[in-house]
Formats: sequence, C-alpha cells, structure tokens
Amino acid sequence: MSQTTIDRFARLKALQRPSVLPLSGHAVGPVENPVVGEAIDSASGSVIGAERLALILGATVKRNGHGEHLSLHCWHGGHAACDPDAAALRLLAPNAPEDIADAQQWLFLDTETTGLAGGTGTYPFLVGLAWWEGGGLEVEQLFMREYSEERSLLVALAERLAERPVLVTFNGKSFDWPLLETRYRMMRTIPPPVPRAHLDFLHPARNLWRLRLGSVRLSQLERYVLGWDRGADIASELIPRIYLDFVRGGRAEPLVPVFQHNQMDLRGLAGLSGRILSLLGDKEGTSQDGLELYGVSRICERRGEAKRARRLYEQLIASALPEETDRVARAALARLAKRDGDFARAHELWESVLGNSREGYEAYEQLAIYYEHEAREPRRALALAREALDQLRRANQVGTVAATEYRRTKGRFEHRMLRLERKASRTLLDTFGA
Amino acid sequence: MTPSQQALAPRLSTTLDTVQDILGTLVSRYRTDEVLTSVQQIPAREAEFRPMPDWVRTELAEAYRAKGIKELYSHQAATAELVHGGKNVVVVTPTASGKTLCYNLPVLNAVLENPDTRALYLFPTKALAQDQLAELHDLAQRLDNRFGVFTYDGDTPQDARKAIRERGHIVLSNPDMLHAGILPHHTKWMRLFENLRYIVLDELHAYRGVFGSHLANVLRRLRRVAQFYGSNPQFVCCSATIANPGELASQLIENEVDVVEENGAPSGEKLFVFYNPPMVNRNLGIRRSYINEATRVARELLARKLQTIVFANSRLHTEVLLTYLQQANPPRPAQAEPIRGYRGGYLPGERREIERGLRDGRIRGVVATNALELGIDIGSLDACVMAGYAGSIASTWQRAGRAGRRSGSSCAVFVASSAPLDQFIVQHPEYFFGSSPEHAHIQPDNLEILVNHLKCAAFELPLSPDERFGQVELPELCERLAEAGFLQRSGGSWHWVQESYPADTISLRSVTSDNFVIIDTTGGEDGKPEVIGEVDFSSALTTVHPKAIYIHQGQQYHVERLDFGQRKAYVKRVDVDYFTDAIRYTQVRVLEIAEEQSAAGPAARAHGDVLVRSQVVGFKKIKFFTNENVGSGKLELPENEMHTTAFWITLQHELLAGLPFTLSERQSGIFGLIYALASVATLLLMCDRRDIGTAVGERPPHGGADVEWQEFATTPGNEKGLFEPNLYLYDAFPGGIGFSEPLYRVCQVLLARTQELITACPCDNGCPSCIGPAGDQSERSKEVALAILGRLCS
Repeated sequence: MSQTTIDRFARLKALQRPSVLPLSGHAVGPVENPVVGEAIDSASGSVIGAERLALILGATVKRNGHGEHLSLHCWHGGHAACDPDAAALRLLAPNAPEDIADAQQWLFLDTETTGLAGGTGTYPFLVGLAWWEGGGLEVEQLFMREYSEERSLLVALAERLAERPVLVTFNGKSFDWPLLETRYRMMRTIPPPVPRAHLDFLHPARNLWRLRLGSVRLSQLERYVLGWDRGADIASELIPRIYLDFVRGGRAEPLVPVFQHNQMDLRGLAGLSGRILSLLGDKEGTSQDGLELYGVSRICERRGEAKRARRLYEQLIASALPEETDRVARAALARLAKRDGDFARAHELWESVLGNSREGYEAYEQLAIYYEHEAREPRRALALAREALDQLRRANQVGTVAATEYRRTKGRFEHRMLRLERKASRTLLDTFGA
Repeated sequence: MTPSQQALAPRLSTTLDTVQDILGTLVSRYRTDEVLTSVQQIPAREAEFRPMPDWVRTELAEAYRAKGIKELYSHQAATAELVHGGKNVVVVTPTASGKTLCYNLPVLNAVLENPDTRALYLFPTKALAQDQLAELHDLAQRLDNRFGVFTYDGDTPQDARKAIRERGHIVLSNPDMLHAGILPHHTKWMRLFENLRYIVLDELHAYRGVFGSHLANVLRRLRRVAQFYGSNPQFVCCSATIANPGELASQLIENEVDVVEENGAPSGEKLFVFYNPPMVNRNLGIRRSYINEATRVARELLARKLQTIVFANSRLHTEVLLTYLQQANPPRPAQAEPIRGYRGGYLPGERREIERGLRDGRIRGVVATNALELGIDIGSLDACVMAGYAGSIASTWQRAGRAGRRSGSSCAVFVASSAPLDQFIVQHPEYFFGSSPEHAHIQPDNLEILVNHLKCAAFELPLSPDERFGQVELPELCERLAEAGFLQRSGGSWHWVQESYPADTISLRSVTSDNFVIIDTTGGEDGKPEVIGEVDFSSALTTVHPKAIYIHQGQQYHVERLDFGQRKAYVKRVDVDYFTDAIRYTQVRVLEIAEEQSAAGPAARAHGDVLVRSQVVGFKKIKFFTNENVGSGKLELPENEMHTTAFWITLQHELLAGLPFTLSERQSGIFGLIYALASVATLLLMCDRRDIGTAVGERPPHGGADVEWQEFATTPGNEKGLFEPNLYLYDAFPGGIGFSEPLYRVCQVLLARTQELITACPCDNGCPSCIGPAGDQSERSKEVALAILGRLCS
C-alpha cells in the first residue's frame, strides 16, 4: 500500500469506529486471553469463542449439506399442551385450515437479531424453536457462530417447519418472519418455506391487556397474566451488541444470558398462547376480569362474530367496570344493536352515555341521525346537536377537551346543525306551501 | 394558411414589438448599450419529423395518436431506436422538446410486449416524479390500464408500498429514496429487480458535483443488486444542454453511452434580453438593485397583459419580488390573486393549484425559485424574467424555456446582479450564446463518499473479494472497514456487523452529514427554544462562530454559544446594523502532485492531493450599506483539517520581479486575482461559489513547501519579495469532488476569461463584480491583477 493510500485511509471520517455507549453491568468487550496460550484467529472470526460457547452451553455442532451451525436442545416441564378450541382459533386466524387445531403441528418461533432496523443487513443469529413434547415444551435453539453458518441454519429451520407447519409467534408477523423471509431470499438457492398457518399473539394480547397494562411486552404479560417471574433477564436492546462483539472476536460468556432470554421468550409465548386461546374459547365469558372480557368482545366484533360480541358486551355492562370502559362498551354495543336494527336498545344505550367524551359525542351524533332519519323528528335532532355544542363549549372553557378534538367535533356538529336548521325551515315552508 | 394559424399570426409580432416597446421605456434615461448589453432574436425553428417506428405496437401508437402525436421528432425517433436496440443512451433536450416520449415510448412498448418488464425512473426531485405520473397515468388509461405506474418516495403511504412493489411496472422515484428506502430492502423488491430492464435518469445534468458522485455510487449498488437477481438494466438519460453529456452519463453508469444531440422539436421565436442595472456609482462599481430592476421589468410585462414568470435565486428574494408585484397588481373584486409565489415549502395541493392556474391563464404571473425550473408542466407563458444569473447556462436556458413552448413568440429577460458571475455573463453574451462550455464533473471515487456507499453495499449483500466497486482495491478497503468494526469476513465474504442502518446516516446531497443545528433561544410564544436551521460542517466555523451575526430568512441572530462537540449553535434574535465577516487563515499543504507543468512560461501549474488547514481566528463587524468596519473580535476555535484536491498556479520569481508594484500592493492584487479566478472557475465547472475554496501560499525562494503564515508575517520585507506565491483553488469537500483536474486542463481558458472579466469591469479600483470590494484592496489591486494576468496569458 502506498503512503498516500495509507494517509487517505487514515483521514477518512467514514472509517472511524462508531461510538458506542458502554454496556452497563455487562463486561462484553474483547478479552485479552480467551483461552490461555491461544490467540484469536482474526481471519476466520472467533473459532475459539465459538467452541467455548458450545462447551459452556452444552450445545452441539450440527452439520448438513450446507455447512454447520450450533444447536442447543432443552426441555421444560410444567407446560401442558393446550387443546385449542376451534372457535377460538377461528377468531385468531379466520382463513386458516381446520387442522391448525392440532397443537402437535405448532412450532413456536422467536429470533434474536443483529439489530432492529430491519433491511437486508439485519441477521437473525439465533432462531429459537419450541414444540409440545412429553408433557412439556421441547426447545431447540439454532445459532450461527459466524455469518457463513446462516445457510445451514436456515436449512435446519425449514426442516423443522416442514415437520410442524403451523408457525406461532409474538410479533412475528411483522418482525421475525418477514426478516427470515428476507434471509431465505438472500440465499437465492433455498426456497423460502411457507408455513401452513401463522398464528401471532401480539394483537390479541394487545386487545386483551393493553387497557390494563399500558404496553404489552412479553415479560410483562408473563408477570401479570401468567404470574411468572423471569428473575434475572437481559435487556433485549443489549442483545445485538453482545452478539456482534462475539462475532468480532469477543468472549462467548455474555451470550449465555441471550440464549436464556430466548428460551424465556419461547416459554412465555407458549404459556400466553394457551391463556389467550382459553379466554377466546370461553363462550360464556366467565372471566372475572371485565377488561379482559372487553378485549374478547372487541376481538369478536372485529372478526364479525357480532352475536357473540353483543352477548359479551351486554354481560359486561351489567358488571362493575371502570367508568371509561363501561362507556366504550356501551358505545360499541349500541353500534352492534343499530346494525341489527334494534333501535330501541341502541337508543337506550346512547341516552346512557351522552356527555363530554368521545363516546358521548358519538351518542349525540347517532341520536341526531336517529331522530332525523328514523324517527323523522328533525327538531329533536336539532336540539341534540345544539346540546352537544353547548356541552362542547363548556368543556372547552374548563379545558376538559383536547384542542384538536374540540375543533373537529365542533365542526362536525355545526355542519349538522346548519343542515338541520335549513331542513327545519324547509319543512315549515313545505307546510305553508301545501 | 388555416384559420387557426391566421389567428395566431398577429400575436406573434405583437409580443416581440411589445417587449421592444417596454425595453425602450425602461432604458430611455440611460445609455442603451450599457443597460441592454444584448438583445438577441432567436428565430423560430421548424419541426423535423420522423415516422413512428414500425416496431411500436399498434395499440401504443394508437394511444399516442389519440393524444395528437402521429409522428416523432427526429431526436425522439433516434433515441427510441437506440433504446429499442438495447443501447445505453443520453439525449440532450431543451425544455419542451418532448423528452419524456424518448423514454416512455420504448419502455412502454417493452412492457406491453412482456408484462413482466420493469422500469425504474429516477428524478432529482419528488415534484418532477409527480409531474411524470400524470402523463403516464393518462397513457395507462388509454391502454386499458395494462401497466401500473407509481411514485415511490417519502410521501408514499406505508400501506400502499406493498402493492407498488408487486404491481408497479414503472416506479418513479428519486436517488435518495433508492439509496435509503429501496436498495437496503431489495428482497421486498424482488419482482422489480428480477425483471429490471430500464433505468431512466432524467435531468442528468443535475447529477454533478457531490450529488452526482453520490449517485454514481448508488448506481454501483443498484447494478450489484440487479446482478444478484440476474438482471442487467440499460440506461436512458436525458440532459439539458451541457458540454459533456456523454462523458457525464458514462461516468455515472460506468458503461458506454450513445449520445443523441440533434433536436427535432419546433420552437417559437424568442427575444432574449440581457439587462444590466444602470450604474449608480461608477467608482465603486455600484449598480441599481437588480431586484428592483427585475420588478420594474416584470411590472411592465404584466401591465401589457403578458403572462410572466419571474425567477429569483433565493426564497427571500422570491418573497420580496412577490410582495412588490402583488402590490402593483391587486386582484379584481371577487377574483383570485393574479400573482402567485411558487417555491419549496409550499404544500403539494397548493402547487398543483398554481400549476393549473398558470395553464388556464387565471394566474397572470408567478414568482418562483428553481422549483419551477425543471420540467413541471405549467403550459406556455409569454415572458420570463430572471432576477440574477441561474448559476449555469443550462439552468438559464431551462428557465428561459418556461416562456414560449412550441409555437408563438416569447421573451426572456436576464437581469444581472453585481456578483462577478452575473457581470461576466451580462457583459459577454457571446459566451452565453456560443456552444455550451459547461462541463459537469463528478468524482465517484472520492474515498469518503465511496466508503460510505461501500458500507451500504455490504449491508445490502455481503461483499466478495473479487467484486469491483469503483477504482479501488476492494479487499484492502474492506480490511480497513473490518478493523474499524463495520465488516467481518466470514466464509470468504465481508458482512455488515453493526446494529445500525448505514443509509440513514448518509445524505446524498453532502459529503458528510455532520451538520450544525441552529437553535433559537429567544423564546417565542411558548418560550421554547426552536431549531431554525442547519449549516454544514465546513461553513459552520465562519457563519456561526461565537458572536457572529447569523442571518436567516431576513432575520438577524446573534450567536451566543457554539457547542462544537454537540454540533449546536445557540442564537438569539437581535436587530443590529452590522453583519460579521469571519477572518480565516487557510494553509494548504501539498501531499502529492498528480500532474504539473512548469517548463513553459513563468507560471507553473499543477493539481493533486492537498491538506487544507483552516482556522477562524477572529471576525470583523461590518456596517450595512456603508460597509464600514465598526469593530472586530478574536476567536479561539479549533483548527479544521481537510484532505482534498486542489489546482494551483505558482507565480515564479521572474514573472513578478519586473512588475512595478510594492510588495503589499502585489499581495493585495494577488488576493483580488484569486477572487476573480474562483468566480470564473465556478462558471467553467457549473458549480456553486461555495464549492471552491481559495488560499494563497508563499513558497520559499529555493522551493519546498509553503511557509506557515505566522512565519511569513515575521519574514523581513526584502526577503518576502523573493517568495513565490501559490494560488490554490481547492475543492471545498473532503476528498475532493473532481474539480481540480478539469481546472488544470482548462487553465488557459480560466486565465483568459478572468482577464476578460476584470478588463470589462468599468469600476476603477476593483468592486464585488471583479476582484472583490474596493475597500478590501489596495488602490492598485486591479492594476496588479491585470498585470499578472497579462504575463500569464501572453
């Protein structure tokens, strides 16, 4: 290399090592002497670290026609396989084939990746798989010790998926699986496996528990819904760096908690899926938790199971619910009743939620529509629009309505009022004309 | 003559006569030839037609026929034929010559032949892609929607993106989106890449300098990805008139390109007028404000019912001109505003409304920035007024082309500011009207830029050692990137080993994305600090140093604090009667000479790699209008180092020895000379004045490296005279952007044009239009500069 070339390289800002924050509590930087007397072979990655990893984890090297990868098996007792109810599964995956009800066909999947940015340069380095076996949960973790092992790992994954073709994930529909599909496409020669069905529990979990918990992280759901405690667990945002440091020749030890974290995620997913399916399968809605029940009703409503949704909402508003949830449930129930042509029930429900809230204004509007078009009493409709506007102005004065909400709602009612006023006067004219 | 042609005929002469008439009134008080430096009548040109090629499918020919296109202009036919024959093509097209047909015809034909065919159109701006969408949708409708056309940019909703990836036969996008949104997600675009046959680069001439150097690398990445999916797309490029369209295109796509330069489109008669605002103070070289003069011209044109477009070079000037013209043309009762503004920052809906208003004539006048310069369809206007030079001949013609499309007469008036470039052009119409001297230059192998794209390339597909990526030793560079922790070699290839998404941190419009944010801490209604703008790293030290007056949208701000580490400048709104001018010392050290020529003549010239060290050591406070120096301050700021390329001239001892000037006169003259050289260089390079840095170094009498300025300052006077000054023009971007070598090649032209610029300037002792403001120079600077040039050019 010429001196000028070296100088040029030296001055390149683009070559400067990116600054990274130190990992708190985890010493993961490259260590001088991983194994005494041996040096790291920088050309082929971190062979020594990789061997050490297999050793400390008790993992084995798997070989197939496409190369090698690491595989770690373990079994967790105390997970009874669930026997999912067909109706519950229809709610989750309306278009899936019937036989997804066979839980033996399920393959739980959770990946750990080199980043969250997505795109073609993000690699899933650890693919955790789990299935029901022997009254517990069998876990297999596929791991690439260096990037060249990806192909072999993906082939192994395709084989597992061929054995158990129903993919079960938590946020895998928008993250893990598209990322894996990208990886298969990058390989060109391995056809991407197509799961027979894909059940993802993120959205159901959100519907069921977000109102109570705010966010729905898996570990949080485990604690609240399943009553589990993970104990020591690594913060997931640290995971990419731990792996990348390892690949660049760092120590193997910091990866151990990553494997454990991935196992916990898989167990949590298995436990949570059972809980969600039993909630959705419970047709009588005997759950004691109103908010959960509300979530089930919403899922039913979205999936077009209007009858069941209506029955659940009725049951819900008869129980003691937080005021806000009660209002939301009433508004939803009123919508369903209106759709069924049951204006008597809808009317009753709207009347019960009138007031300064999103549902309250919706009720004013719905009642106004009802009086205008169904009952043919435009004056009453007009009175309701006026009342809503008064309500809104008062709320604005005392600041109990957000500014954008205020403007939007106000515009809507003013528009309606003008129209109704015109209509009312026209009705008068018509009367005179006749 | 058909009745419709007869109806057109009277208007033809009226417009030109009206303009002549207006000009007469405007300049009646002055010496006409000093103000109207050129009035060129450009005759109408007849169309040259060719039949529709026989390979064009009947339904496509029919669709064009239904739009009124039965035959092709000769350049359209030539381009379409080459594209059809599988060639890479660049076609040089003036405004309104039907260039979109050049690529749409062969591309659509291929899509209709085989519905798997895919094409990617790249436009330098989002607005242009939107404009093309309308034209293609119209064609799609005429062809039973047998192909899908979509724009894909930052505004595309998330839920529409999937459909575009699958169903878009033609995807209209921009280089930035390709770089950050498409290539890093190429697996989602598999359908497109597997079948990618055509890539259209419209407005090719916009891809020069930094932007072009980036694009060349983005295209390297694109070709890599296409190859991965087994496709090898061909390129169709359209460029405005520049001197080297073929060279630029082949540098960008790194392949052979056929050039189509003939133009078969008809054009109407046009009057092109150069208007130099009259002198107010001849000694100081001060002219009447060009903004006011442009307003006068536009007002007269509008008063004669000529639909007029006015171009300004900044947003601020757009607003000023708009205010003046709206005051002069109030809307009639119950009618919409007849004069509108058009610039970046207007909402898309508003823009479309203005474009429609211009087409149907409801809007009589529009004041625009370069946002309207490129191919947005606004119909044909009667007149165009340009307040200030557009920066290049190509842009000027594009702007002028906004008035008068295919038939009818029109006029374009260029009103010059007192900037050197404007003055050179306005006084040298032959330079402007002659064959285009403008070369577009790029430097795709600028290491800084290349390495950034190499990172993106590794993110997209692992790099293998036998790949090629520009003219660099790939394995060596990858090794370096691996050492720095970006890549890791595994299984023979280098893989990306970072959490981050490299494209996010790389902007195609600058070399580094290391910008300073400017934060206004004055506190508005809500009392919160507000980010008002950004300045790039290289200009931060001179514009937002502590105590500087920073001017943003006409408002002055005082810089309270510069946080260098965090890249933030904290400012407060002020209202003062001065501005600040940073005092910067720049030292250039030559690292490696690429080429030099010292044998012939007394001046040696060279180009090569240099290290530029600059430091802002203080600033001057300069009073508005009078330009008095009303104070100064010292600053202690970090020194800034940049490795770049430079072109330089060494004034050898024998050249200077015989000149009858004192040492300080000589030094002052050399600074004036380099000011003028840099201005002319921007003209030759089609670049911005800020793209070129200047420095003067002093070479010791017996050769060797330039001495430090501190050392030179303490050298005894009699020895100073023996030093040989080096005049450096360097690329103001780390790594260089490809200006130095071309400057070295055109050195004689550069010197000759600079001589013409200074000679033609009517000022006495120098002015901003030639060698810089007179106050900064000694009285004989102009004389010195001319004397040196005289010897250099002889």
